[in-house]
Amino acid sequence: MTLTGWVIVAVLCVALLWAVMVYNGLVQSRNRIANAFGQIDVQLKRRHDLVPNLVEVAKRYLAHEAATLEAVVRARGAAQGAASSAREHPTSAAAIGALTVAEQALVGSLGRLMAVAEAYPDLQADATMQSLSEELTSTENRIGFARQAYNDQVLHFNDAASRFPDLLVARLGGFAPAAMLQSTQSAEERKAPKVVF
Amino acid sequence: MRFFEHQDEARRETLKLLAGFALAVLATVAGVHLALVLLWQLLSWSLGGLAFPAFFFSVNIGVTLLLVLGGWWIETSNLSMPAAAERLARRAGAREARPAQSHAEQRLCNIVVEISIAAQMPPPRAMVLARTAAINAFATGWTEDDAVVAVTQGALELLTREELQGMVAHECSHIHEGDTHLNMQLSGMVCGLELVHHFGIMLCERGGLAALAGWPVRLMGSFGWLAGRVLQAAISRQREYLADARTVQWTRSRDGLGGVLRKVLTEQHAARRQHGARPPPLHPALHHLLLVSDGGRGSHWFDAHPPLAERVRRIYGRAMEPLPLEPVASGPEPADRARPPPAVEGPYTLV
Repeated sequence: MTLTGWVIVAVLCVALLWAVMVYNGLVQSRNRIANAFGQIDVQLKRRHDLVPNLVEVAKRYLAHEAATLEAVVRARGAAQGAASSAREHPTSAAAIGALTVAEQALVGSLGRLMAVAEAYPDLQADATMQSLSEELTSTENRIGFARQAYNDQVLHFNDAASRFPDLLVARLGGFAPAAMLQSTQSAEERKAPKVVF
Repeated sequence: MRFFEHQDEARRETLKLLAGFALAVLATVAGVHLALVLLWQLLSWSLGGLAFPAFFFSVNIGVTLLLVLGGWWIETSNLSMPAAAERLARRAGAREARPAQSHAEQRLCNIVVEISIAAQMPPPRAMVLARTAAINAFATGWTEDDAVVAVTQGALELLTREELQGMVAHECSHIHEGDTHLNMQLSGMVCGLELVHHFGIMLCERGGLAALAGWPVRLMGSFGWLAGRVLQAAISRQREYLADARTVQWTRSRDGLGGVLRKVLTEQHAARRQHGARPPPLHPALHHLLLVSDGGRGSHWFDAHPPLAERVRRIYGRAMEPLPLEPVASGPEPADRARPPPAVEGPYTLV
């Protein structure tokens, strides 16, 4: 083979190597998005698991607030059902929408329970209650951070997939841009988020 | 909050400094050889027509490289053993956090998990330095899977939940970015350069011709050692800025870590007023891994941490006043009730 032939082969090899590296980078980044999405689900389950314990402790002090407690239990059951159907149909917009509504209802009823609990100093002094309420704070933070990590990962992926010349590999490999969850930057937005899982 | 720009800048600076470090090592090796060549030339000029000994170049370069790399290998080999991070932390006086026994430590363990979710990394072990009253923390670990974040008792008592989050996030950044790994490698290299210096001293003590050859080795070794330490400290300072910017990215809050640093400012002012000196520092191997270093001692060229005021300025975009130190109640609830929940907390106020 002539020198020109060798040069062409070398250039092609380098280009192929580069394309493989870019492709693998994109696949890794996309898998991280899926992983970040899984984290949100894990933390939602944690929230659901905490509710019965919370209600159990609150029952001892809140004998006259049965309606509030029942609302929490009902909302938790609805959220659990919605979560399991969303898990079965992760791409269905209807299932995700139902989960959103159910989780919002659960957060709302928990908020009411906490507001009621404000009036019961005995309940607040209860060691188990203190520990549970720390767990609940942590769970809310974890959900927030999981959403944030998801969005950071989506940003990273979309940046990588739209950068030239990596863009060429992304187009050929069929990497569609991923969608972000609604912003979680401020307290106002957290109160009425458009997409809450 | 321009945390992504701050991160990119810190990474660029680190790369430049790392290149400088590599150059310093090469310059030391080359310097030893050139100094010996010069010495030989002088000898041959005064004694008349001496040829270079056989293998002059290879022996000079080989021995110097052997010293540098050998020192680096000795320093780093015992750190890659399993559970090295935990043993180092225990040696510094840390113990495992006990979430079942104390609300503050339950909160710490929860925060470590929260931040590891934000950072998308496996959660490090949470440990407590129960006998340290000053606000501080350190992270150590060879890999993400074998990592420890240790927090002082003072931090547990004096920081709010949000601030503790900032502190843990800063330490997690050191683990996530591999700073502890990088720093230990650099320490190993600096140790190797120190070995060249000590080899020179050893030669000098022999007397005779060895002493003559010892001087250039000793001189070049000390130059390399000094340059290595200065560059290591400069790299460490950039990693601190990077960790601060990472913290703001992960917690989306300036008041978390900002609050910690401002409280430490208050603490340091008080300590300086009282004693003029700092309380006894932690284990020396951990200096580079702390949240804040003792400061005040020696020139700032060797400081592993940037000045606190400058870090606060970068986080907030402007200078901020120190914060008063007031104990946070041991249970998480009274503290949460007293303050409105910060933005990173859940959507509703808890109990």
